[in-house]
Amino acid sequence: MPVPVIFRVLSLLALVWLESQPARAAVSARQSGSEIYRRICAECHGPTGEGVKGKYPEGLHGDWSVEKLTRYIDKSMPEGAPEKCVGEDARAVASYIYDAFYSRAAWSKLHPARVELVRLTNRQYGLTVADLFKRLGNADPPVGPERGLRAKYFNSRNFGKDKEVFERIDRELRFEFGTNAPAGVITTTNGFAMQWRGSLLADDTGEHEIILRTPNGARLWLNDDETPLIDAGVASGQLDEHKAKLRLLGGRAYPLRLEFFRAPKDKTAAVGLQWKPPQGPLETIPARNLSPTNSTRTFVVTTPFPPDDSSVGYERGVSVSKAWDEAATQAAIEVAVFVVKHLDRLSRSKPSDPDRARKLEAFCLEFVTAAFRRPLTDDQKRLYVTTPLKGAPKSADAVTRVVLLTLKSPHFLYLGLDGAKPDDYAVASRLSFALWDSGPDKELLKLAEQGALHTREQVTAQARRMLADVRTHAKVRHFFHHWLQLSHAEVLTKDAALFPGFTPELIANLRTSLDLFLEEAVWSGASDYRRLLLAEHLHLNGRLAKFYGVETTATNDFVKIALDPKQRAGVVTHPYLLAAFSYPKTSSPIHRGVFLARNIVGRALRPPPMAVVFKDADFAPNLTMREKITKLTRSRDCQGCHAVINPLGFSLEQFDAVGRFRTREKDRAIDVVSDYLTDDGEKVRFTGPRDVAEFAVRSESAQQSFIEQLFNQVVKQPMQAYGADSMARLHQSFAASGFNMQKLLVEIATLSALHGLETSTEKKP
Amino acid sequence: MTPLYRRQFLHRLGLSAASLPFLVGLPSLGLGAPARPRQRLVIMFSPNGTIPSAFWPDEEGKDFKLKEIMSPLAPFQERMLVLRGLNNKVRGDGDSHMRGMSCLLTGVELFPGNIQGGSHTPAGWASGISIDQELKNFLQSREDTRTRFGSLEFGVGVTDRADPWTRMSYAGANKPVAPISDPYQMYHKLYGQLKDRANLQSILDTVRGDLQKVGKLISADDRRLLEEHETLVRQMEKDLADASRQKLRVTPPTFEEGIADQNDNVPRLSRMQVDLLVNSFVNDMARVATLQYTKSVGSARMNWLDIKDGHHGLSHEPDKDEVTQAKLVKINKWFAGELHYLAQKLASTPEPGGDGTLLDNTLIVWTNELGKGNSHTLDNIPFVLLGGGFGFEMGRSVKLPGVAHNRLHLALAHAMGHRLETFGKPSLCDGGPLKLG
Repeated sequence: MPVPVIFRVLSLLALVWLESQPARAAVSARQSGSEIYRRICAECHGPTGEGVKGKYPEGLHGDWSVEKLTRYIDKSMPEGAPEKCVGEDARAVASYIYDAFYSRAAWSKLHPARVELVRLTNRQYGLTVADLFKRLGNADPPVGPERGLRAKYFNSRNFGKDKEVFERIDRELRFEFGTNAPAGVITTTNGFAMQWRGSLLADDTGEHEIILRTPNGARLWLNDDETPLIDAGVASGQLDEHKAKLRLLGGRAYPLRLEFFRAPKDKTAAVGLQWKPPQGPLETIPARNLSPTNSTRTFVVTTPFPPDDSSVGYERGVSVSKAWDEAATQAAIEVAVFVVKHLDRLSRSKPSDPDRARKLEAFCLEFVTAAFRRPLTDDQKRLYVTTPLKGAPKSADAVTRVVLLTLKSPHFLYLGLDGAKPDDYAVASRLSFALWDSGPDKELLKLAEQGALHTREQVTAQARRMLADVRTHAKVRHFFHHWLQLSHAEVLTKDAALFPGFTPELIANLRTSLDLFLEEAVWSGASDYRRLLLAEHLHLNGRLAKFYGVETTATNDFVKIALDPKQRAGVVTHPYLLAAFSYPKTSSPIHRGVFLARNIVGRALRPPPMAVVFKDADFAPNLTMREKITKLTRSRDCQGCHAVINPLGFSLEQFDAVGRFRTREKDRAIDVVSDYLTDDGEKVRFTGPRDVAEFAVRSESAQQSFIEQLFNQVVKQPMQAYGADSMARLHQSFAASGFNMQKLLVEIATLSALHGLETSTEKKP
Repeated sequence: MTPLYRRQFLHRLGLSAASLPFLVGLPSLGLGAPARPRQRLVIMFSPNGTIPSAFWPDEEGKDFKLKEIMSPLAPFQERMLVLRGLNNKVRGDGDSHMRGMSCLLTGVELFPGNIQGGSHTPAGWASGISIDQELKNFLQSREDTRTRFGSLEFGVGVTDRADPWTRMSYAGANKPVAPISDPYQMYHKLYGQLKDRANLQSILDTVRGDLQKVGKLISADDRRLLEEHETLVRQMEKDLADASRQKLRVTPPTFEEGIADQNDNVPRLSRMQVDLLVNSFVNDMARVATLQYTKSVGSARMNWLDIKDGHHGLSHEPDKDEVTQAKLVKINKWFAGELHYLAQKLASTPEPGGDGTLLDNTLIVWTNELGKGNSHTLDNIPFVLLGGGFGFEMGRSVKLPGVAHNRLHLALAHAMGHRLETFGKPSLCDGGPLKLG
């Protein structure tokens, strides 16, 4: 029944009145604060801080204290005329906006977040499809610690069992035999041969180019046991490069087999297996990317998808478009072609099998169930299996229809269709997408079927189990790359004259060095977040050690080397990041400072009020970089943020554009001492990177920023949607665990999996 | 409308290659009469040499009698040109089978290599392009002869191995072209898009229904996303309906399911491939085709002819072994029968948008890698031409004085308007194109 307007107004007034009664003293200040805000702030920030397009479009919310807001307003607001709001007025406005919308609590009350229905992101789509087929087959053995490939040597060009001479592990495939045979192989009149088996371990997702170099005969099978990726069985004695490209998903193992033979009349023998991974230069496939452990084929969708929405800082499937719908359709066709081609193996039947029809139906049911991540209702069985199977006279078409229908169905494409009434299967999916970006495995589904996946203990136990899976490792790596903004480093080039030796190979090694560091920090020992920032060691190989002036006996393999703790502090000073946040010729205190402020120290920075480009030529040549930046950013408009950015950036000035340590710039000693203003307006003196790192690990807002970024990558939903106290709870347990990142992952996965469920736990049997 | 490459077609529509090729991938096929009569070339290969006494007509000229092996071709005698005395004169690395095969259409030496034949030096791939690919490139380079594929390489019972015995088509030096032996794979190459389209059309209604059903169970905020999705599905349904209004001249052939690519199925596989070949011509998907039966040294066991031995083994037996000779005649006659099926099919299909039949504008060249199996000679390579459209004077048996077969390739090229000076090894082209008109 509609309520009369006048009555609603009256009751509203009554509420305000009642609310204000007990706090009479504050009333006048608050009202004046809101008045001032309306008069001089709202024009740019909007009536409730939501922002104004063309003025200050961002929402006015964050984690500054009232004190800090007051100081800032007093000094810098309104922009261009800060004298209009100072002293008590500034304090009044600060208090008003803090309670009205600025603080975390106020903002989330005004903008209640909810767990949204989302479609699979592109990453999730690819992984889910890959795992769909993995789940239908046998599980791969875990990849062991040993690296390299299992090699068999034969004293004949044929691979006869009786011709086998010995077996060993070859770490890399880069052999130049010249006119000789491999050591230990007695040549006969019929040449010699080798066979290598094992797995290729891909680091990053994307197109990998594989290059097989040999003047002899060779065949390479990669992620396909039947058809060789490269068939170079026929050779003409010249060193040939055989190339092929294929898409691989990062963090997984792919079956690899290489057969090589030297025919009796071949003059020389050589074989090399190289690659060009998505983020690296052409190089011999390093031992660390080869494993003697066997693996099975992974189906990798190659259809390109349009990029996901990442306007809020992480990729999420909140929108659909024609391009996306077409890509999803094309990908479904790609999957269907694969299924039809391997139908005999998948359905465990041959066309001649009298039981073929039943077995095909059984396979289809298994496929749809796996894709929907829960058992089908009778209605769904009819809709998705029985009807399409009956609809086409030929089994290839019938199965194609089942696959297309399944992969275009909302039950496959969307997460959260069960939002209102989550059951154990929903929990299984939430857990698996949180930790793996992929569908649940057999174990999760089994527990869901048994109704044993809804208490906190059950869910936490599963999250803990899932940590060890390579998919969790891949996802954490994905998070780190995002957190550390490695996309910046993808076009890393430096002035070749100034930095000879900073080659694409070295850059690829730097990336590996960082990945090894991060991996060790998360997956070994105490998994202490603080070690990410404080560790004084680097992972270096021979090339890196030489370039960065570190003494070591390391060659191609990476070793962990402790460095001067004054010079190096975890990711704060990793040379890959230092180089990524630099100009081609010089360091860039601004890029480094912004990166540290936003991602390491956890400060909210707004976009610069005006675009100022740093041009080295604009400055007197004798100035240091610090002096130039100080000059460039001295205006009051700039200082709002640069008071935070510059001290952070200056603390890293002892690193040049490629991240090498230095003490002098232009024959002048580098000044790294600067005073940083905290959120609360406290002055902190930094005398180098370690001070920054020490400050960050103690800073609650830095810790919270890390938690929030990890949460966003893992859950891909706003944290507020899981309760206003989510951050407080996660932060408390993170601190209590000694900042254990693995435990934080478990906490986040558990929190999101139990959403909307925990209160009703007792009612379940 | 002139047929276009798919990419070009998409480009004109302003679509990128990433957008739905199955939707709009087929250019309009409402072909009108071409400005000039179409010319098509089919090269059919069968292996291991022939039995000369049962193959070559004794007579020369227009009045000749077909021997046992070619007897199935009697209905087409007037449209045949039997060329005796063409020699594969390419020497160099590789045994006769290898050179017989990989120099047959290339007319150029093999690279030295690591593939060891029976007794000769080992060899690698051919060092040049083959005539079918040369002509395909020529036809594709011109607007009025361009087709979707240009050429199609059919195989029947070719093994999975890639070596100089299994490849006769080369896109260039060191670039063998693998024939497609699996008719289902060829079908997918030709008509997969149509199939995908039909299959997709059949399921979209269900998808839409389910989006609606699911939408009822969730909040209004979330439902918006599904409603948008549903709109996209409806749009796709409409696009597909529009696309299926583009009609093919003939529908693809219907195949029985599950004919595996194995020895005993060769007769059925052969007919499926020929059906697809003719079908692809009607729909003008290509102007050049190769049809490769097994491979050089091919060892089909023709159980369907009651012959239990492998073809290659038999081909080594001496002339005096009459039982074997009879089997080999039977085998070669079976190939002639498949050629007859192809010719008959072409002869009974009207030329789209033109006069006469497909055969009037299609020349089939039946050839072999050896002249004779047990001697491994590369002299007197069987070359039987059947069909029309090349301006050759058909209905003849011709004896040539040991001419390099490169000159036949030149004649084929010239007849198609591609006026090459030489083809393959230049020194084997002396005298220019064979005069067959």
